[in-house]
Amino acid sequence: MNHEWMKVIIAAFFEVCWVVGLKHADDLWTWTGTVLAIVISFYLLVKSGEKLPVGSAYAVFVGLGTAGTVLSDIVFFGEPFKLEKILLIAVLLAGVIGLKLVEDEKKGEEA
Amino acid sequence: MAWIALVVAGLFEMFGVTMINKLHKDHSWQPFVLLLVGFAGSFLFLAYALQALPMGTAYAIWTGIGAAGGAITGMVLYGESKHWKRVLFIIMILGAVIGLKLVS
Repeated sequence: MNHEWMKVIIAAFFEVCWVVGLKHADDLWTWTGTVLAIVISFYLLVKSGEKLPVGSAYAVFVGLGTAGTVLSDIVFFGEPFKLEKILLIAVLLAGVIGLKLVEDEKKGEEA
Repeated sequence: MAWIALVVAGLFEMFGVTMINKLHKDHSWQPFVLLLVGFAGSFLFLAYALQALPMGTAYAIWTGIGAAGGAITGMVLYGESKHWKRVLFIIMILGAVIGLKLVS
């Protein structure tokens, strides 16, 4: 696990934090934290893209972000586990990751 | 209303990302201001949608519309590749969004 991929993982962690914040923040402090989390997450993702293939970095980021928000829903906020919903989110995620990985492939061919 | 707000948030996201691409080509203040407007609108509408929808569903759809919309904009406006794999992934995303609306 190298340093650049750690940035992607930490960016995804902050991504989950701001999504939780957008739903649950209710005072100045929680909103400040939410905005900070947006900035940190975005900054780390852009930084990681300077060294890593951007499509792959984004694919991992969005995969972790989605898994994190779905799990937070179920574990911390009592959202019921519905198989058909999880499967549809998995199909959606596969589509997003596919689109991003095709971008790297394309750039690889040009190079 | 939450679903409409979510789609609008995704469209703002798509617009913001398109402006990032524009900024790379044309270093002026206009795309920069428009990208700020795009992301601000995106987060506002997403926050509204999240009040009614579960986080996992809303987040996945928001990202999905941003990614699929970005790819469609690239194909239509900027002559990017219309490779069958890209079209298939876009169909998967849009199909899953419709499915999620139907099961919730």
